[in-house]
Amino acid sequence: MNVSLFAGAILNGLVTGMLYALMGVGLSLILGLLNIPNFAHGVLYAIGAYVMVSTVKTFGFLAGVLAALVAVAVLGAGIEAFGVRRLSRVHPDYILLLTFGLSLILTEAIILVWGPVGITSQPPSLLAGGVDLGVTVYPKYRLAVMIVTAALVAACYLFVTRTRYGAIIRAGIEDKDMAAALGINIRRVFTLTFATGAGLAAFGGALMAPVRGLQPTMGLDILPFAFVVVVLGGLGSLPGAILAGLLVGVVQSLMTAIWPPGADASVFALMTLGIIARPQGLLGHR
Amino acid sequence: MSADVLLRTDRLTCDFGAVRAVNAVSLSVVAGTLHSLIGPNGSGKTTLFNLVAGEVRPSGGRVYFDGDDVTGMPSHRLPHRGLARCFQRTNVFPKLTVHDNIWVAAFSRRRPGALGFLRRASEFSDVEADVERILGEVGLAHKRAAPAETLSHGQQRALEVGVTLASSPRLLLLDEPTQGLAPEATQQMTRLVQRLVGRYTILLIEHKMRIVMSISDRISVMAFGELIAEGTPDEVRDNRDVQRAYLGGRR
Amino acid sequence: MIRPLVRLLLLVAAIVLLPLLVRPVVAAEIWIFSIAAMALNLIFGYTGMLSFGQATFFGLAAYTSGLMMIHWHAPLLAVLAAGTLVGVVAAAAIGYVCIQRVGTYFIMLTFGFNQMFYFIAYKWTSVTGGDDGLPGIPRPPFAIGPLAVRLDSSLRYYVFVAAIFLLTFYAMKRIVDSPLGVIFQSIRENPGRAAAVGYDVKRYKWLAFTIAGGFTGLAGVLYSMMFGIVPLEAISWIISGDIVFMVLIGGIGNLYGPLLGAAAFKWLSEAVSVVWERWPLILGVALVLVVLFLRGGLVEALTRLREAFGGMPPRREPREGAPVGVTAETEATS
Repeated sequence: MNVSLFAGAILNGLVTGMLYALMGVGLSLILGLLNIPNFAHGVLYAIGAYVMVSTVKTFGFLAGVLAALVAVAVLGAGIEAFGVRRLSRVHPDYILLLTFGLSLILTEAIILVWGPVGITSQPPSLLAGGVDLGVTVYPKYRLAVMIVTAALVAACYLFVTRTRYGAIIRAGIEDKDMAAALGINIRRVFTLTFATGAGLAAFGGALMAPVRGLQPTMGLDILPFAFVVVVLGGLGSLPGAILAGLLVGVVQSLMTAIWPPGADASVFALMTLGIIARPQGLLGHR
Repeated sequence: MSADVLLRTDRLTCDFGAVRAVNAVSLSVVAGTLHSLIGPNGSGKTTLFNLVAGEVRPSGGRVYFDGDDVTGMPSHRLPHRGLARCFQRTNVFPKLTVHDNIWVAAFSRRRPGALGFLRRASEFSDVEADVERILGEVGLAHKRAAPAETLSHGQQRALEVGVTLASSPRLLLLDEPTQGLAPEATQQMTRLVQRLVGRYTILLIEHKMRIVMSISDRISVMAFGELIAEGTPDEVRDNRDVQRAYLGGRR
Repeated sequence: MIRPLVRLLLLVAAIVLLPLLVRPVVAAEIWIFSIAAMALNLIFGYTGMLSFGQATFFGLAAYTSGLMMIHWHAPLLAVLAAGTLVGVVAAAAIGYVCIQRVGTYFIMLTFGFNQMFYFIAYKWTSVTGGDDGLPGIPRPPFAIGPLAVRLDSSLRYYVFVAAIFLLTFYAMKRIVDSPLGVIFQSIRENPGRAAAVGYDVKRYKWLAFTIAGGFTGLAGVLYSMMFGIVPLEAISWIISGDIVFMVLIGGIGNLYGPLLGAAAFKWLSEAVSVVWERWPLILGVALVLVVLFLRGGLVEALTRLREAFGGMPPRREPREGAPVGVTAETEATS
């Protein structure tokens, strides 16, 4: 494999990896607070992509991305307030099943609204074309996505670890009853956190739409990878999700270049090895 | 080590991060006696139980049961050696009936082999006999078909003790069996514990001083994770350190 | 509740009458998935572990038996045994890794492993046929000694499937009535206390998972001979989700719940998908409604109906398996 191909694969891996990290961070926040894997996380990513594509035609790229973010965040808030919260005193498995049911409903809704056939999307003209990096020529848009996503992920991390509200979230994750007893409006924190996780997923979906294209099953397709990222990174660890996301993205991309049939399976093999070697995940706590 | 010491801890220590919850506690429990463990809240009594019962790994020190070193042994192996504990916060099987709660604890000591598991649970008449006996002992025979979660608090404490007895242990670690009980239920529980003395060796955590003083053979006093006094009830009652620990003032 | 003997008679009656109510193919599928649903019920309803990856064992057994029948013309009983064995071995291996963790982690691991095998099956087209599935699976005759019965017609295959189902139902009942039944439930109720009274919880969880894998594998073999083809879907998380849904809608923790769930699910999917392509939407809505309002599933619904019409509160039988709907009571007492 020549250097250009290798460099391209690494860069692709980083782009995908940043997306996975973004998905992992959103999923991790929801997982930490609600203690369930959000099976609807993939479809929220998908809806973000579709909303963007519809909005872009009339209002332009930036508006499209923003619309995706806001619309899905609101959807996420609604899911939390009207669905998840009602199950808060019941076994967490039921919240999982709720999100699973929602993923089915929303995937079918996508087909109903946008049709069953895949759609393509174009990057904004400002970012069209490639950049010569010396070792290879790489699409401008993908570089931009990588940078923007990285910035967002870093911002999330800083928000959760350095700000007061972030501390409130971490307190809620540690012990929600205690946090509530200390006067924190834990309900609002839950709703906002779910909305944020959903918004992050949608943002990722919107940004990546020009790179990956859209099809109704894209949500269900990406969900297992988001899970792998969270499991590999360590449940409840944001930096773990980021690290694992990048790792998974790069591994998958390299395998696609070296041995395409094994690309997807290798991600899960990675997860298995990770769990066996280090059960708490890369950066997780025991 | 005297031949009839059933449980002995040797400088048992437990750290949670920077907090030393239990500090080099060495105590011995003589077989057939009721040995009480008292001390102000937060003195490390339940943590000591957790160390002995394998729920928490000690940071230092050793635990000997009937002469064998059982330090750090996982909790599920201890009933098979003859050690069982009850919990301060009722810790039974909520949706199982009272009967099944005790049944499952009683069955754990049986080794029916692979073929044994082919029999219906109800066909183990020896286990059934044990269950009936214990139900009678703790006064819950009339509630045998009720799900544990429907029991009153007092009945649940009785069930808690019943489940502990069911694995036919030699040593009982009883963690505040009268916790939260009204006066009459407290008396019943106390009488139950007294009936167990002699047949079982008991290490008891209790806050109600009158009970402790009247039924204990020996008392160990903990404060701030350390053993500060030990002796007969009279010795402990007159001990200045104990008085100071309970009435305040730092060492 | 209804006496055990009456329930058994109802079951036999259902088996006899079902092919008159729906096509024999659909009826056979109901019993096949009943087996898989019972298996999940064992680990979820009784032991408290939600596995979102049962299709792994279903699919692996289906592919294995399919290949055995295509390439080696393996006899019927051999593939049944082989499929069950594949389920057991796979569940033992995967289960060993998964039960090291609990709750969310466990669920995601079962899901992750399922995905791994799905992707392997998807890409390994030379063996599995990939997206097109593995076609051309014969239906060997049922042969013991000199006796050989051909199973070509749908009705004959239905009878065979129903017979296998009855055997597995009996086996499951024996397991649940044995000490394992109470031990598993105690692990669901309070794993910490189960350990404190002397049970190696991980080992029993692993046992439950392995047993369930065997049953699910058996179902997979029966499925492979159903249409003569193993579709890729058989190992996908769609089937995993379907099985979860069946157990939930039927009523978890109850021996008959999974059967009701499988029947309801299959019947509904048949009825709706003919009319509307967007059947998964109905499924999703049904799932959400059950989760929010009827967590005890159909068993709970039936119980409430009986109470409303019969006027009698349900009698509690001490050794009768598990409670109706694990969280119906949680609601009542919380």
